[in-house]
Amino acid sequence: MRIRVDPVGVITAAASVAFVTAAIAVLKPYVPVLSLGVLYELAVLPVAVLWGVPLATAVSVASMLAFNWFFLPPTHTFQLQDTANWLALAVYLVTGIVVSVLATQVRRRSQLAAERAMEAEAIGRSDAIKTAVLHSVSHDLRSPLTAIVAAASSLGNPQVKLGRADRDELVATIRSEADRLDRIVGNLLDLSRLTSGVAAPHQELWTADDLVSRALDQLGRGGERVVTELDADAPPVQVDAAQIERSLVNLLDNALKFSPPETPVTLRVESRADEVRLHVLDNGPGVEPAARELVFEAFQRGSDGVRGAGLGLAIARGFAEVNGARVWAENGEGGHFVLALPA
Amino acid sequence: MSRVLVVDDEPQILRALQTSLRGAGYDVDTAATGEQALTSAATRPPDAVILDLVLPDIRGTEVARELRRWTAVPVIVLSAIGDESEKVAALDAGADDYVTKPFGVDELLARLRAALRRAEPSTEPVLEIGDLRIDLEAHEVTRAGERVQLTPHEYELLQLLARHEGKLLTHQAILREVWGEAYAGESHYLHVYVSQLRRKLEPDPARPRTILTEPGVGYRLVNPLRDS
Repeated sequence: MRIRVDPVGVITAAASVAFVTAAIAVLKPYVPVLSLGVLYELAVLPVAVLWGVPLATAVSVASMLAFNWFFLPPTHTFQLQDTANWLALAVYLVTGIVVSVLATQVRRRSQLAAERAMEAEAIGRSDAIKTAVLHSVSHDLRSPLTAIVAAASSLGNPQVKLGRADRDELVATIRSEADRLDRIVGNLLDLSRLTSGVAAPHQELWTADDLVSRALDQLGRGGERVVTELDADAPPVQVDAAQIERSLVNLLDNALKFSPPETPVTLRVESRADEVRLHVLDNGPGVEPAARELVFEAFQRGSDGVRGAGLGLAIARGFAEVNGARVWAENGEGGHFVLALPA
Repeated sequence: MSRVLVVDDEPQILRALQTSLRGAGYDVDTAATGEQALTSAATRPPDAVILDLVLPDIRGTEVARELRRWTAVPVIVLSAIGDESEKVAALDAGADDYVTKPFGVDELLARLRAALRRAEPSTEPVLEIGDLRIDLEAHEVTRAGERVQLTPHEYELLQLLARHEGKLLTHQAILREVWGEAYAGESHYLHVYVSQLRRKLEPDPARPRTILTEPGVGYRLVNPLRDS
């Protein structure tokens, strides 16, 4: 066994032996001195709890020697007149060692219990998260699948008589729902990349206009509701365009999802002294002040219309942060999210 | 023309079902919430309701229960796989059947036709389902003209399923009806009797085509020549 010597422990041990010795000197006129030896346990116990058995044993031995030197006749020698005092010293020494062993065990056990409780809690928490993730993912994957299977089986069913416009609409549904599935799968991959820390950005200089047009391109037909207010004077930003595009697409997707179908979503570019801010504004219910940070955690979603895997905003923030950018929700009548890119 | 009310909060699913059902010759109303569904059903009474179990305001099960307070309209619920307890709750609340997402329109149309057919109950003294013939007055069962010997419980079980041809009956409902309230929880009882019945009625009991199992939920008796 390697004994580690902690200077703080040694100093504390010496100080507590000295302190108890002084206390016994004070009490000696009033109490038979032999019975005061037990007070040295007060020095042994805390040392045993804090620094373990080896140091506590040293304290026991030192206590015994100090007691003998200062108080047992003949004083200021390590000799003893009365053989009964030998016995007393031996008892104190053994008691001191036993106390320190017991105290150390108690400490170890309580540490172990605390560790186990923490482990159990962590396992419980991760189980709950896994269940939530599975539930959310299965619901979100199945909804587009249901629309696709219904539309495709309808197109292939001779009992279902469809006009030209109906057929076109069902085909468009299949197409857009397949895109939605692809986005959900992409989001899951993005999230796993972000959480495993392999999302190293490849930064280049880009203009806000470029980033905006790439994001709108990604949204396809769903992006028709987005109204843009560009800023010709905005300085270029040093970012990974693909990652910031994911971030922006997710903010826009979120705004489109949580606002009435016929209302516009505004994307406004604002340049500031040290950053370029992209504002995404919608006419939805907005985010309650209490939930303004919560919405950025994975698998959280708005209280109404439970659509989307609750991943989009977490990913938007994740990709922004690896690029040194920030994302937050603002006060406003509708939803208002800001993506701030360092200039 | 029969009118169907479709209730789902996913606009894409709603649109796809609307187009498909119209193409199949139904009149279609839609609702995106439970409240809308109840209002629509009250103002324009449908002949059948297709009801998603997950709605933004009230649970689909509650919508089914509310509907049952004043109408016997057939209700088919849309549910996700793995939600057996939720399906059973919906059926207990008065839903008639369910379809598991994702589903083909052909399956939905078959269930819809069966539900609408059942909406007009038959009072025939003799039930003929495929080559199966059940004389309810004489308590006689024949298959392809051959007499089939059944115990009293087997007969009760068969005539209950047959009187509700095509309808999904939950374990509890069957046990309560055939064996009585005290047996409502004894599903294993039922499984044994269904196996015996299949041995006597099905050409291949390992691949039943008349008495079908809905895992975790119940049984349904179908005409193998019609609802294949």
